[in-house]
Amino acid sequence: MTELKCTDPVILNQWHPLSSIDEITPGLIHSTMLLEENISYGMDTDGNAYAWPFDNQLPTRSRLTSKTVRNPLPIHIAHGYVWTSLGEPPETLFSFEEYYEADRINVPTGVFGVNVSAGRAVENFLDMSHFPYVHTGILGEEPHTEVKEYAVEVSETRDEVLATQCQFYQPKAALASEGGAMVDYTYRVPHVNCALLYKSSPNDASRSDVIYMFLQPMSQDWVRAHTGMCVIDEDNTYESIRYFQQVIFGQDKPILENQYPKRLPLDPRSETPIRADKTAIAFRRWLSRKGLRYGVIPAAA
Amino acid sequence: MTTDLTTWHPIASSTDLPMRHIYHGQLWGREMAVWRADDGHVNVWENRCLHRGVRLTVGLNEGRELRCLYHGWRYANRTAGCTYIPAHPADAPARTICNNTYSAVESHGLVWSAVDPIGEFEAPAVLNGNDVLALRPIPVKAAPDIALKHAKSYRFSPIGEGCADVTLVEETDNHVQLHAKQDQSKATLLLFVQPVDAGRSILRGVLTDQPADAGNILRHHNRRMQALRDVIEAEATMLPVPEPIEVQFSKVDEELAKMPARAKSGPKAELRVSVAHKWDASEGVAGFRLEALNGQLPTFQPGAHIDLHMPNGMSRQYSLTNAPGETDFYRIGVKREPDSRGGSECMHNAVQAGDVLAISAPRNNFPLRRDALKTILVAGGIGITPMLAMAQTLHVQGLGYELHYFAQSEAHLSFPDVLKTFGSNLIPHIGLDPASTGGALKELLSGYDYAHHLYICGPGPMLEATRKIAAEAGWPEDAVHFEYFKNTKEIDDSSTFEVALARSALTLQVPAGRTILEILQENGIEAPSSCEQGACGTCLTTVIEGEPDHQDVYLSDSEKASNQKIITCVSRAKSKRLVLDI
Amino acid sequence: MKLYDYELSGNCFKIRLFLNILGIEYESQTVDFYPGLEHKSPEFLQLNPLGQLPVIEDEGKVLRDAQAILTYLAVKYDASGLWYPVSDPGRLGEVAQWLAFADGITGTASAARLHDGLFYELDVEAARAGAHRLFRILDEHLWFAERVGRDWLVPGDHPTIADIACFPYVALSEEGGIYRQGYPAIRRWCDRVKRIQGFVGMSGIFTTSHAA
Repeated sequence: MTELKCTDPVILNQWHPLSSIDEITPGLIHSTMLLEENISYGMDTDGNAYAWPFDNQLPTRSRLTSKTVRNPLPIHIAHGYVWTSLGEPPETLFSFEEYYEADRINVPTGVFGVNVSAGRAVENFLDMSHFPYVHTGILGEEPHTEVKEYAVEVSETRDEVLATQCQFYQPKAALASEGGAMVDYTYRVPHVNCALLYKSSPNDASRSDVIYMFLQPMSQDWVRAHTGMCVIDEDNTYESIRYFQQVIFGQDKPILENQYPKRLPLDPRSETPIRADKTAIAFRRWLSRKGLRYGVIPAAA
Repeated sequence: MTTDLTTWHPIASSTDLPMRHIYHGQLWGREMAVWRADDGHVNVWENRCLHRGVRLTVGLNEGRELRCLYHGWRYANRTAGCTYIPAHPADAPARTICNNTYSAVESHGLVWSAVDPIGEFEAPAVLNGNDVLALRPIPVKAAPDIALKHAKSYRFSPIGEGCADVTLVEETDNHVQLHAKQDQSKATLLLFVQPVDAGRSILRGVLTDQPADAGNILRHHNRRMQALRDVIEAEATMLPVPEPIEVQFSKVDEELAKMPARAKSGPKAELRVSVAHKWDASEGVAGFRLEALNGQLPTFQPGAHIDLHMPNGMSRQYSLTNAPGETDFYRIGVKREPDSRGGSECMHNAVQAGDVLAISAPRNNFPLRRDALKTILVAGGIGITPMLAMAQTLHVQGLGYELHYFAQSEAHLSFPDVLKTFGSNLIPHIGLDPASTGGALKELLSGYDYAHHLYICGPGPMLEATRKIAAEAGWPEDAVHFEYFKNTKEIDDSSTFEVALARSALTLQVPAGRTILEILQENGIEAPSSCEQGACGTCLTTVIEGEPDHQDVYLSDSEKASNQKIITCVSRAKSKRLVLDI
Repeated sequence: MKLYDYELSGNCFKIRLFLNILGIEYESQTVDFYPGLEHKSPEFLQLNPLGQLPVIEDEGKVLRDAQAILTYLAVKYDASGLWYPVSDPGRLGEVAQWLAFADGITGTASAARLHDGLFYELDVEAARAGAHRLFRILDEHLWFAERVGRDWLVPGDHPTIADIACFPYVALSEEGGIYRQGYPAIRRWCDRVKRIQGFVGMSGIFTTSHAA
């Protein structure tokens, strides 16, 4: 690729999700946008994935064969997704062991365009105190608005933000009962644009369901949000899981699209955190330390 | 049109602001959330909750407060100060959490604002004294200067049809004045160009006189101004689209950028207020309405009090009785105490309407949770004052509560006009002796359940009794909230000991008869304080080492037992040495 | 009654909203519109050969098209006759006029939203421009209605199914990059619709504060 519009090495050198494998029609060329560049991708009928800068000779929806790709981009297949990079990506991607556990169902719940920066979307994903107001009656409900103290650390070994011992009141928390209860959450941010949340499984208290959001930055303030769940669940159907996750995401979307400025401000004095925002504070500082500039408003030096 | 941020522009029509609505305005790129409170006041705020930047125009106008959609933070009418953060229901929000506001004046059927005004608003002289008619505003996708250039050529008829002779009377940097004459009919129009952004404007017309057939004339101008819009937009499409104005957001207070601490020391800044009104609030209680001499009074939350400095040099604390959104005055009640040290005497006898007093900004050691399934408020005598603020808050938010008011007689029920708004939530207990008071308390505290909260304010003995009865009835300590105004305990100040200040690397001796607080202040240590009677909690300090001799009424029993905190204005040390986190 | 439903569809929301206002119990059958494209499946095409949501089944009757279903529900279940004034030709004509207008909003504002949110391939600039043309007309209509003390699209002091039909894709328009800042009368009307007794929201449409 010639001149790239994005010049931030921190973001160029990441792996970025393009699509869940489920949503790729084998043998067909798909296209999308990544960091303001038009990108084509696809999988051949043998399960090999390819991605390349858009090429006039290879129009979208035409046939893909491995021979036709001229300037291939790096490819990584992991966690049910095809990932690529416009720079020099690391050898591996973050771990997501639960995805590979045999008794789980993995449900990609859809990819949505959101008019916001990746950082704002991740921060919303990490936030509990909006549950009673944005996900009323589903993930939270007044008057149960309190965020209890929880723990946040930046794991040095894994280079990820980790929030543990999070608890929040959820109405209709268990499938079996009507009543609300406190639900345990753990949050992981193992990648600048990816976050996972672990939530005690209503079917097996010793294990957690996982909900993830992998963001593909189309530009600094426009993302594709790849969402999905990885659950231990005999009762729910594929459709009901999708329905639940789309309802939740659809409720967050107008909030995200009304955040102003759209890029995530990293200067601690640009917005007002409270104790409940500990994870977000750690996330913003972690991004600052990485020197990220794309999709954020860096703190003035 | 040059970018002059000091100029006042009309940014909305009065009719754009019905009750319980938030209008989405913009001026020179700055988005504005414009809302009318139930008391009629028009607020023009930066369109951005300063917590996470969410537009306030997607929030909720609840009449007295504006609620952010994202996390339910509440901001007060006028002050734009935050009154409640649901994620931390037990805490009073820091005083400095306040949205950015713009100047706003409602006049001549329009709301006027300026980004950075110099001086007061002055309406164009031709509007003054007239019964004007604001036209339907027409947004235009064009730069303000292009729109203004074309505004001159606007043509209209004073009777809504036919051909009039239109002359340009005046042209300023944000409007033109046009005069139309047709046979015997005349009309004068001010046509404003509101600079919305670099490439967007709004045409706002106002006729200096109500026409006879307003409906017809409004339609006439609507047609004509849309035709003008089409001309302006046709020109604008020939030009490059200007980049939107890049708005710089002001930074929040440095304190707010840090992870906020659990408690904040009180503000020291003093305000000057005038006594706008003084009246008999009940038998032996004087009501005072205090108004700012200039500017805006600071934000308060239910449970907050002010320190009031009296002409006789004394200072006393009084709870604010205001409802949410009542932000243009403070209302307090002062009981005449026959055996007081002179504070209430002075307020009752010497202070009169029109007098000027000095007060502190409100401080809240008695914050009200709004996440209770049920709230029981218990007031004894003058202890009703903070309860009035709390009950009004719960009432307007539709939260379940009971207000039990113990008073000597009907005539002793203070602020009857406020009390009557509570309907059946108010339960007066009149003329009970201590034994029957105890009986009534036992009964009303008998049904403790999860997420019930109890707030008590009243004379010391009643407070003690209520706390005891609540504990016996199974109320957990963290569900029982109270505020002492006076520490009736006998303070024993006979001990001598040493305090080491860990952060200041300083060791001081506290002799008998002196307090820790006095010694700190004498040695130049900044130590906030207020009541100096062990009641208000302002001088709360962390103990690193040593065993305090607690003599305050502020800390709970479990807090006292943990020995991690000390109220330095009265408490002392059992150990020879205390190490404080100062 | 059974509603073939998709939460994020504004057209399905019209039906959910109206059923809730009328207080009618119904069964919701979720159709995996996205990403499953279930509305294009052979089974669904049997119900609606156009492959569109919503569809209702009521006492054996299968009916498609949001505006048609609103009309059916109003006549059959609204005893007051206020939501669809069959006995008043003038007002009835106006209701029909705004039902057609609602189709125009779907063709523009809803299309832009599908493009931005779900990556439908279409001319989004044309869709947005079309929506703005309609919104200018709607805002003007509502401004002059307010001026004579009228709250709703059709004269009279009660809302009609015209308001229900036009509301959802107006309220969701910003998800398609069509901002309503320049349409203050539309913004106020949205608040009024949200205060109709029985109003429920959907993902993307929040409730508002109580009236004073």
